[in-house]
Amino acid sequence: MSAPSIPNLLSLRARGGRGRSRGRGQGRGGFGTGAEAPASRGQAHDSVIQGTDTDAAVSRLSAVDTGYLSDPYARYFVSAFDGPPARRFPIINRGTYTRTAAIDNLVHSFLAGTGGEEQQREVTRQIVSLGAGTDTRPFRLFSQKGYPQLVYHEIDFSVTSAKKLKTVEAVPPLASILTNRSTGDTGSWSSLPLNGEYFCHGLDIRRLSPAATEILPGLRTDVPTLILSECCLCYLSQEESEGVLEYFSSRIPNISVVIYEPIHLGDPFSDTMVSNLAARNIHMPSLERRRDEADEAARLKRLGFETTRQLTIDRLWSKWVDAEEKERVDRLEGLDEIEEWQLLAGHYAVVWSFRGDGFEGWRGIE
Amino acid sequence: MSDLDKAIAQLRSCRPIPEDQVRELCHRARELLIEEGNVVTVTAPVTICGDIHGQFHDLMELFRVGGDVPDTNYLFMGDFVDRGFYSLESFLLLLCLKVRYPDRMTLIRGNHESRQITTVYGFYDECLRKYGSANVWRYCCDVFDYLALGAIVLGASSTLSPGSPEDDDTEIEVCDQAGSIISRFPRQPANQSSQEKLDNSNKATVDKTGPPGTGASGSSSGSVGNPTGAILCVHGGLSPLVDTVDKIRLIDRKQEVPHEGAMCDLLWSDPDEIDGWGLSPRGAGFLFGADIVKVFNHRNDLSLIARAHQLVMEGFKEMFDASIVTVWSAPNYCYRCGNVAAVLELTEDESGTGIFQRTNGDVGRSSGGIVEPRGGPKNGPARRYRVFQAAPQDSRGMPAKKPVADYFL
Repeated sequence: MSAPSIPNLLSLRARGGRGRSRGRGQGRGGFGTGAEAPASRGQAHDSVIQGTDTDAAVSRLSAVDTGYLSDPYARYFVSAFDGPPARRFPIINRGTYTRTAAIDNLVHSFLAGTGGEEQQREVTRQIVSLGAGTDTRPFRLFSQKGYPQLVYHEIDFSVTSAKKLKTVEAVPPLASILTNRSTGDTGSWSSLPLNGEYFCHGLDIRRLSPAATEILPGLRTDVPTLILSECCLCYLSQEESEGVLEYFSSRIPNISVVIYEPIHLGDPFSDTMVSNLAARNIHMPSLERRRDEADEAARLKRLGFETTRQLTIDRLWSKWVDAEEKERVDRLEGLDEIEEWQLLAGHYAVVWSFRGDGFEGWRGIE
Repeated sequence: MSDLDKAIAQLRSCRPIPEDQVRELCHRARELLIEEGNVVTVTAPVTICGDIHGQFHDLMELFRVGGDVPDTNYLFMGDFVDRGFYSLESFLLLLCLKVRYPDRMTLIRGNHESRQITTVYGFYDECLRKYGSANVWRYCCDVFDYLALGAIVLGASSTLSPGSPEDDDTEIEVCDQAGSIISRFPRQPANQSSQEKLDNSNKATVDKTGPPGTGASGSSSGSVGNPTGAILCVHGGLSPLVDTVDKIRLIDRKQEVPHEGAMCDLLWSDPDEIDGWGLSPRGAGFLFGADIVKVFNHRNDLSLIARAHQLVMEGFKEMFDASIVTVWSAPNYCYRCGNVAAVLELTEDESGTGIFQRTNGDVGRSSGGIVEPRGGPKNGPARRYRVFQAAPQDSRGMPAKKPVADYFL
């Protein structure tokens, strides 16, 4: 993903030859650290988790190239060195699509609120994306007009955040969105785009806990804030992930969280998932307990979030994607096996939970 | 050892055979398949298998559990390729066995035996990767076009082990991969509620005469012999354009699977808890309800439809008062689903009064099958399901790459 590869990426607009590995699932994650200590087991696991971000970028590009998603920035984050971009199976593309569309819906509703346009312009909102990796959401949001002032934070391994800066600097369409950049320590950097502020923190999110003295530069505590975890907190121990959520909920009165991750339903699919991930050296502590919707709501309540909703990706596809859009997506690639989709998509969920004001846009979303 | 036996030995160890041998094999297979009707007639005993999907090591496990070829007579209901990592080895081995033992191996076409589907779901990529060109994929696709669309099993017994009185009333037996019996279900008396329901649904047709050409009256209720009707095997299911098995025989099958029509439906449709016909969420084929199955089975003297096509976590699933069963033979599907697999064994009726092929299955003739009794639903054949789990990938000294399953991480 280093700079020299960038010009080649543009020549890959046409979908590459089929073949290459259709690949593994998509990845996201990272809770990086600046200090790359010699390989302890934990460090080895960290680098495996970093690798899942590459998977995520490839899956995103696959969904874009096949027409599921519209994201002009996705291609800039996939290396050309590995040959033509991999195309994922339809079931994975549909999952990538549904998860992205669902989170987009929550994010856009959060940003839009309920007020009129005039009123919106005076409101500032904040998003903190945990383990953001190569996520393209900030580029998509800051290039759109009509949203309120937005403060956007991304937190990831310092190596990942530094890489993201390099990519942005080398690709004019990205650089023209995140303008006025300044660079800090340990891979951290920031930008002053139109309509707001952007911060990319090279920081291990495990350092964030209620007692932490760590201060995130630019973090506002006085505006409605959305914490976003797309397959990130699931890699942390329960104690660590709760510490991260409490770090934010104890500082920010109007706070919400959107979590996307796999869930353990106590069935053979779940058990197979745990052992398959273990074979890839991926360990997800969140999969150690069987996931119950009520338990999750109670846990988030304990962490300071009052109202919780949860839907599986399977349900999100059925409920949130309208008939016309379903028809469009169905036409892209046939999905040959419905049972398999229901099984896979039924084991991933989006949870959204909030406290305080500023989440009026989520009223009525179920 | 003939070249064919050598190829079989090589494929059994999960090593692909050279391209020129594939070409030769596919040529011979096509010559054989072109002679088969759209609906092949198979005589019990037979072991019926569902989707394989390139899970070669699990196919070997299937042979271990179900018996080897040619000792066991096999009927595979399609979807040999795609998704798994060894579509090539799996399909070529089955094809070699078909050519070597044509009477002990029946292969019918699944919806994945198609040019279009294999380019999306893996078989095309696999051929390209293993041979460096698409030639082998093309040879295989040419064979796909000649695969039969269905099979009729005749002569299945209503008891699992003839001569063994304690098994006489066993209708369903479920065994694990070691052959130990997990469960047994006795045949239900005819006056039980499910049976009544069956009768009710058939009242509309009960006064009709028997199938075309039999001259049998609907009121005949002979109960001697002929305990079971025939079994139709098809990959997906029924079609609104097909009300008799004979209509299947009329299809011009030697082509790529069409996007719609009878041939498409047979390979794509699914039974569902609905009345009549419904739209399929797969975008091809239809959903069909119990009423459709019962009318079809009655009209065609069938006691059961066996089909594959849908993942079922327990390996098999009987629906609609056991008038249709789904058999799924790919354990831990896609190395991810955590399901078990199953094969369905039908035993031979040795009473001498069983069903025998009455026609040679030519176009325009009756579907073959039984002469009596008429009127009510046929008793189902006795069914033994052998359930098995995924083979450990490295257990047989075969090349096996570590399965990497797709997840959203």
